[in-house]
Amino acid sequence: MARITGRELKDLVGTFGVVATLAGLAFGLPAVDRAFSAERPLRSGIPVDVGAGVTVVPPSGATLDVTGTRPGDTMGSALFRLGAVQYRIAVRPFDGNLDTAATRLRQRITGTPGYQVTGSQLAVGTIGGLDGLQGGYTAPGRGGRYAVFVGDGLTIEVIISGNDLDLGRTLPQIEASTRTLRVDGTAR
Amino acid sequence: MISAEVRPGRAAALARVPAFWVVAALLLAGAVRMTLITARFATAYPIATVTAVLLFALLAVPFWWVVRELDFLEREPIELLVLAFAWGALVATSVSIPAGTAGENLIAKLGSPQLAAGWGAALAGPAVEEIAKTLGVVVIVLIARPQINSVLDGVVYGAMVGLGFQIAEDIVFAVGAVALAGQGDQIQPVIATFLLRGFVSGVWSHTLFGALAGAGIGYLVVRRDRRPARRIGVAVLAWLGAWASHALWNSPLLIDGLGNGALALLAVLVLKGLPPLLLILWLVRRAHDREAEYYVGHLATLRDPELITESEMRVLGSGSARASARRLAGESAGRAGRHAVRRLQRAQARLAVELSRASSSERHTTCEHIRVQRRVLRGLGHPEAIAGPRSWRHTASTIVTTVVAIAVLWVALSALGGA
Repeated sequence: MARITGRELKDLVGTFGVVATLAGLAFGLPAVDRAFSAERPLRSGIPVDVGAGVTVVPPSGATLDVTGTRPGDTMGSALFRLGAVQYRIAVRPFDGNLDTAATRLRQRITGTPGYQVTGSQLAVGTIGGLDGLQGGYTAPGRGGRYAVFVGDGLTIEVIISGNDLDLGRTLPQIEASTRTLRVDGTAR
Repeated sequence: MISAEVRPGRAAALARVPAFWVVAALLLAGAVRMTLITARFATAYPIATVTAVLLFALLAVPFWWVVRELDFLEREPIELLVLAFAWGALVATSVSIPAGTAGENLIAKLGSPQLAAGWGAALAGPAVEEIAKTLGVVVIVLIARPQINSVLDGVVYGAMVGLGFQIAEDIVFAVGAVALAGQGDQIQPVIATFLLRGFVSGVWSHTLFGALAGAGIGYLVVRRDRRPARRIGVAVLAWLGAWASHALWNSPLLIDGLGNGALALLAVLVLKGLPPLLLILWLVRRAHDREAEYYVGHLATLRDPELITESEMRVLGSGSARASARRLAGESAGRAGRHAVRRLQRAQARLAVELSRASSSERHTTCEHIRVQRRVLRGLGHPEAIAGPRSWRHTASTIVTTVVAIAVLWVALSALGGA
């Protein structure tokens, strides 16, 4: 077998330096990210900005997960946690009607392997006058609710997920929170 | 300055370099990761995934051709260009996906979710991606150091890494848009992404940023006549330039400042994308001229008009003059003349590179090849590959091409809702 020259050895060491840098990016940075808590306490009754001028009053006792919260000017999202239950709201520009928005959300849910929509949809509304549709879904080891609202050139999608026990305990609070969704349009 | 040592990097020679196998392992790991992502897409949205792969693969062809042609005189070995492209498409993307997400999360955690929403993509993405891509040029240096012998080589490899990254990212974005649309396996979101990321923002994307960072690595490696601190400083500055260009492009600046029409969108694209584009074009021009001067200087020592004439030396150093010479040959001696001039120019460029080496066993063969093409040209009544005067047809063709390019951009912007 041929011997490795000094130059080749130097290059090999350099290459391991490259590997180390890549490992730092791919594993080190996510490890640093995990070292910081993502959850922030919320003041009870104070509306939270979801993005694109949409606000919601979070359920009492919920925390805000900043890794799933991106309140932008034209679109945005907010992720709340109540114990093991996730309550996610996403806002995007949309020029269709409520049925189309609900169909698209259902397709996205069922597009994930193992996810099934259950039962029929029910009409829901918010205190601010937004009309919406809500339904349920099941997934391996968890289930949840979805709701979608359309108004002011936006679609507001709500996804709630958790196990049946936790959901049964928290759903009334979350549904009360969903009814506080409001579009003030100021961010756009 | 061009380093004297130039050695063809054939695949077998690469396989003998120990560091190459570390790079090969990284490429394999990246390939597995990207294959898993693509397979997941292909299972959920098979038609959209195939369409995205085909469209963006087609888009890569002209980019590849342009990047490869940047260094006409000393062409880079195909296996290293493929390696650079694969690094961008497989390794840099695989690393950037988790690192970019972690970076944005950290901005949200240490700053605020509002800051992450507005500036996360401008701060985290460029920092992570430009490091991962620049390392692609570094590994080319580590496994094939003799191939980096001009700043232009760094530009070519950097652009190729960027191109690989751009194409892989575009495919992921296109299928991601299909998933987000929630309309099943449709190709409309793929087409929209292709118009937006391919036509509208394709020119000033990763290929450009990669080229800028690659120029810095090229300078660091080649300019051994300069102090190490200066070489490192230039490399860092070039990387910062790539990062800043990328950050400016991703930033929310000017998003609402110029209105919502197609013209306003075009203005934003130009304001954000043109400065780095002009900078890299200037850099490429400068590096190209420097390299041309070096290689043509070697040819001048031959003093053999059978191999290259004075006029041909002036032509060989300029891309537009080479194209003009091929056009002139086409006009006076038809397709055969144009092809013979192309072959002659390639052989002359090869000879220039061989002359720059300490020793070359292929010099005699290359000289013979040039003489064969010279005889063909003489037989066609067009003995010298000189540039012709600028014809009205060429000027008209340039104007029409520019108008068509702007029209395509305009249609793309309008189709995306700009108008």
